[in-house]
Amino acid sequence: MSTAALTAHDDSPDHRASQRTAVFGMTIFLASEAMLFAGLIAGYIVLRLSSPAWPPSPDLPKLPVLLTGINTVFLIASSFAFHAAEVAVKKGKSGVAWLLVTVLLGSLFVGVQAYEWYHMHHEGLWFNQGGAYGATFFVLTGFHGLHVIIGVLMIAWALIRQLGGAYTAQSHTYLILAGMYWHFVDVVWLFLYSVLYLV
Amino acid sequence: MSTSATTFIPESGQAAAVEHGHDEQKQSFFSKYIWSLDHKMIGLQYLWTSFFFLLLGGLLAMGIRFQLAYPGMPVPLIGALLPSTIAIDGVILPGGYNMLFTMHATVMVFLVVMPLLIGGFGNYLIPLKIGAGDMAFPTLNAMSYWLYVLSGVIILASFFVDGGAAQSGWTAYAPLSSTPAYMNNTQMGQSLWCVGLFVNGLSSIAGATNYITTITNMRAPGMTMFRLPLSVWSLYLTAWLLILAVPVLSAAAAMLFADLNLGTTFFAAQGGQPLLWQHLFWFFGHPEVYIMILPAMGLVSEILPVFARKPIFGYKAMVWAMVAIGFLGFIVWGHHMFVSGMNLTLGAAFSVSTMIIAVPSAIKTFNWMGTVWRGSIEFTTPMLFALAFVSMFVIGGLSGIFMASTPVDLFVHNSYFIVAHIHYVLFGGSLFGAFAAIYFWYPKMFGRMMNETLGKIHFFATFIFFNLTFFPMHNLGLGGMMRRIADPTVYEHLRALQPINVFVTWAAFGMGLATFIFLWNFIWSLRHGKVAGKNPWKATTLEWTVPSPPGHGNFETTPTVYNGPYEYSVPGMAKDFLPQNERAPEGARLEVH
Repeated sequence: MSTAALTAHDDSPDHRASQRTAVFGMTIFLASEAMLFAGLIAGYIVLRLSSPAWPPSPDLPKLPVLLTGINTVFLIASSFAFHAAEVAVKKGKSGVAWLLVTVLLGSLFVGVQAYEWYHMHHEGLWFNQGGAYGATFFVLTGFHGLHVIIGVLMIAWALIRQLGGAYTAQSHTYLILAGMYWHFVDVVWLFLYSVLYLV
Repeated sequence: MSTSATTFIPESGQAAAVEHGHDEQKQSFFSKYIWSLDHKMIGLQYLWTSFFFLLLGGLLAMGIRFQLAYPGMPVPLIGALLPSTIAIDGVILPGGYNMLFTMHATVMVFLVVMPLLIGGFGNYLIPLKIGAGDMAFPTLNAMSYWLYVLSGVIILASFFVDGGAAQSGWTAYAPLSSTPAYMNNTQMGQSLWCVGLFVNGLSSIAGATNYITTITNMRAPGMTMFRLPLSVWSLYLTAWLLILAVPVLSAAAAMLFADLNLGTTFFAAQGGQPLLWQHLFWFFGHPEVYIMILPAMGLVSEILPVFARKPIFGYKAMVWAMVAIGFLGFIVWGHHMFVSGMNLTLGAAFSVSTMIIAVPSAIKTFNWMGTVWRGSIEFTTPMLFALAFVSMFVIGGLSGIFMASTPVDLFVHNSYFIVAHIHYVLFGGSLFGAFAAIYFWYPKMFGRMMNETLGKIHFFATFIFFNLTFFPMHNLGLGGMMRRIADPTVYEHLRALQPINVFVTWAAFGMGLATFIFLWNFIWSLRHGKVAGKNPWKATTLEWTVPSPPGHGNFETTPTVYNGPYEYSVPGMAKDFLPQNERAPEGARLEVH
């Protein structure tokens, strides 16, 4: 591959074109990701609406609205932190601190979700317990959690590379792409939190 | 993601292209044939791999036909080689028969038609036709191919696991597919089926992302959207369908996998919704039908004008018809479910939306006829296949109208009428289109022509045996023969039809044998075919302006496009065609400006 273009830390038209292309490609990919979650959420809605009661049985545990609400705030905050990192990089600063904050908040979100899984399992809800209620909860949050973990790893990688000063104000395509993915995962979570916990 | 920065470098610059031309010699075997980043090599990888699966899928079909004609008799020649889950002492088991038809369809849809038309021709042709050096994301492109191979390996492996391959049909209707107790212990095979389709979906999404980005961002100067060859338009729209439909199948496959392995009850009769599977599957499955036919339509639209020496009739109408088909394809999935117990009012809505699809389809058909009408037609092998595509698509399309009508569908549903219909559109349509495209672009891919005589023998044998195989299936279906039964002779009402089954089976064997003429021609011509030169068909699109096969990077200098893609027999011109990158001479009256 033409590594010459890769190392072009400049404002050249080639670099800007390749960045535009990459952003466009990421947008298309996120459209397909949106359809993946749309399929899962549609399945959830059908199962929930066709169930006479939700949760299907009164002895099944309720989902922790407040704890997850706080966790949601962590995730949203991480999006802002990432944005701050991007702004810093664009201004020619390193942005490492904000990247670190993003990784920590993202990890915190995963940690709280893991605790919640453990807790719900303890209360008698699991993939195979609690019927469609348990199945949808674990599969939907599981799919999303997997996306968050991938996002955290992507941003952690950006952090490691930025410690070596990989991204400059002109050249930071990877950061832009990681950011798009990360914001997307956050927005999906708002939908999931609304339909799974709040409604 | 570590290499993503390298991944996202488009190779549009001509400097890069020329530079690459120089280090072509230095490429190792591995980087040239295995982990190649060149869109042409990736296209050829797709082509060869899909040929392998075409043979496998065809062999499975022969197994199906043998069983239907001679139930209970041992399969000759290869019977002893079959795994014990399919046949014992060469006699196909009922469960083994289920495996054969399930895997025949799965292989043909996901490992043959899609990779052949979209992976093979999409990769090979898109950059060449739009005047680009390569795809937007070459690494992603290579990854897409290897994910396809991986999905093929997973699906193949499912034959050899405990219990054998999936038995619930390619549609995997729940709860048959989701309840281990119902499925002859093929839980493992069904799970691998889910994983295979999930991985295959990743491959499709990676490829589609690449196509859309490439077509949007990397067209040569002057190549406006309405100067794109119709094949590129068709692949562009197909890519959008993939992006929007495939992830829903992935979600459904993941849920089915969870039902099988984690004890969830998404599709269980108790505590779940079996019908949910059908909705999710067909939300993908119907766009999938167009995913498989649109590229063939586009490729054929490219071939007809060349051999009629006329512009395509109604270029813009062709584009908008494809857009309409793509859009409508998303709101008709319920027509697969008229007998599922779905709400009947909803059924009526799906019935109407399905019939509306006949309008853009008919526009396309009439335009194809308008294109060849009064042309100076050359009946070359690609032209014969292209014309056969149009006529077979009409038959398949018309039987589709029958089934779109709910009352008729109630009668023919799940019968061999459906099997006839699907093969008229998928074999007579997509695969005939693919054959036309192979004969047509082979000279570009390998620099030599395929043999015309063998090509014509292949065409006529395939065309005749195809119709002898699938047309009588309409009669079988109307006579009451159900799909997916291992032994028709056990049903009183089907005994009178058994001679037709035997006839169909022998016709199918003939069609299978005809494929070997094709393969022989394909391989023989690699070395012995007539040297093709740049533009053997005197065609106008950009791939014919570069050497055959084109070098790495495609174009020495980025071409500039001045005309539409179908300027044949232009009034006021001495030459009967005008390449897209040549300015029209004084006084020439062009079709599209």
